[in-house]
Amino acid sequence: MARMSVEKFFAYYGENAALKNVTLEVPDQQVLALIGPSGCGKTTFLRSLNRMNDFVKEFSIEGLVTLDGVDIYSPDMHPVVLRRRVGMVFQKPNPFHKSIFENVAYGLRIQGIRAKSVLADNVEESLRSAALWDEVKDRLNDSAFSLSGGQQQRLCIARALAVEPEVLLLDEPASALDPISTSRIEELIQDLKTQYAIVIVTHNMQQAARISDQTAFFLLGEMVEMGETSRIFTNPSDPRTEDYITGRFG
Amino acid sequence: MGNEKKGSLSLFRRVRTVLLGFLTLAFFIVAVAPLLLIIWTAWDKGKSALNWSFVSTLPTGFPVGSQGGILNGIVGSIILVIVASSLSVPAGIWAGMYLWEEGTTPLARLIRLLSDLLLGVPSVVWGVVGFYVFSTSTGYGLHWGFSAMAGGLTLGFIMIPIVTRVTEQALRDVPLTFIEGSFALGASRWQTLKSIAIPSAMAGIGTGILLGVLNVLGQTAPLIFTNYYNTGVPSSLVGSQGAVGDLAMQIFIYIHEPSEILHTKAMAASLVLLGIVLFIDIGIRLMTWGSRKLYARVG
Ligand SMILES: Nc1ncnc2c1ncn2[C@@H]1O[C@H](COP(=O)(O)OP(=O)(O)O)[C@@H](O)[C@H]1O
Ligand SMILES: [Mg+2]
Repeated sequence: MARMSVEKFFAYYGENAALKNVTLEVPDQQVLALIGPSGCGKTTFLRSLNRMNDFVKEFSIEGLVTLDGVDIYSPDMHPVVLRRRVGMVFQKPNPFHKSIFENVAYGLRIQGIRAKSVLADNVEESLRSAALWDEVKDRLNDSAFSLSGGQQQRLCIARALAVEPEVLLLDEPASALDPISTSRIEELIQDLKTQYAIVIVTHNMQQAARISDQTAFFLLGEMVEMGETSRIFTNPSDPRTEDYITGRFG
Repeated sequence: MGNEKKGSLSLFRRVRTVLLGFLTLAFFIVAVAPLLLIIWTAWDKGKSALNWSFVSTLPTGFPVGSQGGILNGIVGSIILVIVASSLSVPAGIWAGMYLWEEGTTPLARLIRLLSDLLLGVPSVVWGVVGFYVFSTSTGYGLHWGFSAMAGGLTLGFIMIPIVTRVTEQALRDVPLTFIEGSFALGASRWQTLKSIAIPSAMAGIGTGILLGVLNVLGQTAPLIFTNYYNTGVPSSLVGSQGAVGDLAMQIFIYIHEPSEILHTKAMAASLVLLGIVLFIDIGIRLMTWGSRKLYARVG
């Protein structure tokens, strides 16, 4: 049932180990929340799942990460193909300097899809999935920067959905947003998990408790424990987890 | 301190603000004064020669130029800019993209170092090299004589490192979040460069081309050995009929003639050159702005 699996994974920035011996599985059609104090390696972990760290100088890894059983760091998986299957939404909304339509169509165009009707259908479907269609359907040719922050982030989600990924990685997607936009994104994640494996990094304990099925707690580059969200929040097995979720540090 | 009025700046800060204002104004005047002086002098001394036939006829009379206009210089400068740009714009943009992509590889470092060294080569040295490569009629080289091709390509080589450097910097200024957003959707490096980085960097690249073109328009030293000057318009780009007039060279030559009329015409020609600079500046801005719009649509 695991979509991706990570075994004995180490990540280094130069000499510094940012992740130490992490082993976990990303379940399909569920939301996995990654929690832990700032700097514990959540973003590094997330970006290791779609090889976005390849662009970071001096970054290196050890261990095994697989997608449907294939080692994603092996020559059997081209990073470009990997990133189409494992989509990502960043902490700060980062739409392109293009129209709303072209932002969503971008991932399709780079795959060589040119037919207008195919693009239009896909863009509409993706915007609907991201719960943005009704707000933008009359202004698809406007700049993406004419949207509010919350709308921009949903546009980035739509953009990621358009390439039909299997896994969706979200790095604190609501941390820069107001409460109303945040709750819209949370609802959206609930809807999306029926189709995708979702991994979300969050700072917010309540958010993790509300939206996730599984929770993994990271501390100083190690994964302390992972389990059903309800159990992690009511009956954690590691005292460090309990300290963190009860707010005793971090 | 305690009963200081809220909302009013302390005396020190007010004095500082005023002082900074004066300094800014002083620097502004120091920076702009020479430009205004040049324009004013050129206008004052040259305006009597400015009329339509000045820009639409070739120089005649004795000494040459005492009658007629500067059409040879205008046509020649345009030809030189076109030849120089045809070499340096593609080569410079390509090199800039390469440096952006490859960043820190040894070859990229070497190219960057060479490009910086080239920026420092005196233009007269370029002229001598251009002579041996393009113009000389003996030994190795292309044997193109004093010609637009020889002069233009020499100027083009001077322009390459400028375009390269500015292109690379403009690409580096594109926020990483856009680049990563593109990669995260499964775009290749080339697609990211073409569809995201270049359109965002277009204004900066346009500035680079502009700097290069303006530099070319002002150069005379490299032309002395590769093109020199022609009082007519060329019938070919290479060979004995291939030399062109050139505004900067024309001004240089006229100023050195002991002739009041030619001095006046040199000033008028400077005004025309300034006008062309302004025209190209606006043109390049419009072009980069237009292509950015275009790219924004086609993805
Ligand atoms: N690009 C980088 N270069 C060097 N060190 C980095 C880089 N990104 C993150 N780190 C380090 O790796 C550790 C984990 O960071 P990160 O994954 O961003 O944590 P989190 O997302 O949990 O806040 C931190 O100590 C951070 O300083
Ligand atoms: Mg982070």
